Amino acid sequence: MSSIAIASIYADLLGTYGDGGNVLALAHRARLRDFDVQVIRVEPGAAVPTLADIYVLGGGEDTAQVAACEALRTDGALAAAGQRGAAVLAICAGYQLLGEYFPNAVGEPAPGLGLLDIRTDRLPQRAVGELATSPLQAGGSALLDRDRFTGYENHAGGTVRGPGISALARVDVGVGNGDGTEGSVSGHIVGTYLHGPCLARNPDIADQLLSWALGRELTELVEPEVAQLRAERFGAVSETRR
Amino acid sequence: MVDQQNRKVALRTRAAIRAGKAASGLSRVAGRGEGMVIGGQVILRVAPQAISQLAGGRVAALVSATNGKTSTTRLLATALEQAGPVVTQPTGANMSTGIVMALSGAAPDATVVLEVDEAYLPRTVTQTDPKLIMLGNLSRDQLDRMNEVAMTARKWRNMLADHPELTVIANADDPMIEFAAAQSPNVIWVAAGQAWTSDSSVCASCGALLSRSGSDWSCPGCNRRRPKPQWTLGPDRRATAPDGARFDLSKLQLPGRFNAANATMVLAAVSALGLDPGVATERMNTVTSVSGRYGTFEVGELRIRLLLAKNPAGWSELLDVMPPAPAPVIVTINSDYADGRDPSWLWDVPFEKLAGRTVIASGFRRRDLAVRLTHANVDHIVIADPYAPGANLPASAGDLDVIDCAATYTAFHQLRTTGVPL
Repeated sequence: MSSIAIASIYADLLGTYGDGGNVLALAHRARLRDFDVQVIRVEPGAAVPTLADIYVLGGGEDTAQVAACEALRTDGALAAAGQRGAAVLAICAGYQLLGEYFPNAVGEPAPGLGLLDIRTDRLPQRAVGELATSPLQAGGSALLDRDRFTGYENHAGGTVRGPGISALARVDVGVGNGDGTEGSVSGHIVGTYLHGPCLARNPDIADQLLSWALGRELTELVEPEVAQLRAERFGAVSETRR
Repeated sequence: MVDQQNRKVALRTRAAIRAGKAASGLSRVAGRGEGMVIGGQVILRVAPQAISQLAGGRVAALVSATNGKTSTTRLLATALEQAGPVVTQPTGANMSTGIVMALSGAAPDATVVLEVDEAYLPRTVTQTDPKLIMLGNLSRDQLDRMNEVAMTARKWRNMLADHPELTVIANADDPMIEFAAAQSPNVIWVAAGQAWTSDSSVCASCGALLSRSGSDWSCPGCNRRRPKPQWTLGPDRRATAPDGARFDLSKLQLPGRFNAANATMVLAAVSALGLDPGVATERMNTVTSVSGRYGTFEVGELRIRLLLAKNPAGWSELLDVMPPAPAPVIVTINSDYADGRDPSWLWDVPFEKLAGRTVIASGFRRRDLAVRLTHANVDHIVIADPYAPGANLPASAGDLDVIDCAATYTAFHQLRTTGVPL
């Protein structure tokens, strides 16, 4: 297979913090390697494609998050795709709504899609700022385990993982899940609080999603401008460790 | 007893103003900007009630919006000068400190119009008791500091529930503004347009997805819909009043559709205040730049037209104001407190529209911008200081008489203060 279908899910509801850049980054890195890319932009009311290779969800405001979750539950295709092993990247509000429950606009638990074994409650204080992590070396995925991640977080949720689900990384600076870990990985589903956008600042995560979608390893690809941005961001947080 | 109490407060406020002006003057002399913030801080520390003390029934209007509040305030102040002196903030200092400084400098008989930060609007309404307020638009901006958009709309809605006496000039095309303003019994609706709809796709009242068709919108969940506007702006840049009178806004010197929309809001406000919108139109045509926005400056080796571009909605409008490709442009992105700490909003800006030119990427977050432009397939050069002698600018930059420079707030402010106005 040399063609990749990327489904961008409800960017108007789940794309408050530049998360649309994740779809651009996936398409960009696939095209640099000469793969054909098809981006399918799905807005609520339209059907979520059943056979996309990668599904991308971003962050959003509280009411939009509940609306997106309900539309996805009604549609059903995202949960089915996750269960069949399609690659999924979900950021912030998108990450939370894949779990068992998350706080709605008034702080009460709203039912999630149940695709990830996570539960999200309100943090005592909103987490806003640069987020930097180190690999957990959990042995799950070489690409997710080899380098640090950088991003910006802006959320009020603390996320607790169930026993069978790994964290994405360990927090160096910032809050992440709220227990010293950041994000979750389950099968081919990655959930995280990293905005930035996540994949523009962390090409290893983009490549892992592409690799899962294609079913093979990818050639190494370093873009100097991205490397410079990463170095600058890690330098900035080391000066202002919270 | 109450009178004596009031007199005490007034005396305290007068002393506070003297202290604040001294601090502000010292700050200016020390070359640390215009001293609005430090002066205001001193006044408010000594006399916390200074804003309500000083307002004293002189405040005609408060102007708030995510984008365009400084320009709208300037247009309104200029339009209202037809009836006598008008005082407003000289710079865009729109929080309590800037507001108290503007009030402290206002003559007793002056009309006051104030630009107000979105988050400060509810308390400023209570403190200043204005005759009317203007609500232009709400979209994502500085999300590290601000509430999310729907939260701001809810706070404005509660504010209007507490102040039914206010006249509200509101943009009917922005569903977030409608949600807030519909709470008031005294709304004058203006069709001021909305180029950026991504922050109002969900009904702020019931959470359903809004249906849209052109500028029309409605909510299938709770039957909210776009109110019928009393004031409209046509594609020919003519504004139409509720009585059918038309006003030609095509001669405004401030560029862009959005400034014509700001001017239409002002015409509605001028009429509501009992003044002449025809005279207001003539007066608004004389405004050429607003606190540096759209002004031409000489900075180092370059002559620039300075544009303030700080969020996706603002950028969406500004991209249409820039000269066409292949003219290069300078884009300067910072992430200080006043810019918003998180520049990920760059990914919401349709920079793809800049294809065919070379963008000179500068500012402290030039590397974020460079990565964004790479993904937009826009040619660019990263230069820390494009104004330095010998900066490695593209040849095409030298061919331009004036080059557009779009900058975030702190970069904009620095260029405005270091540049020589032309």
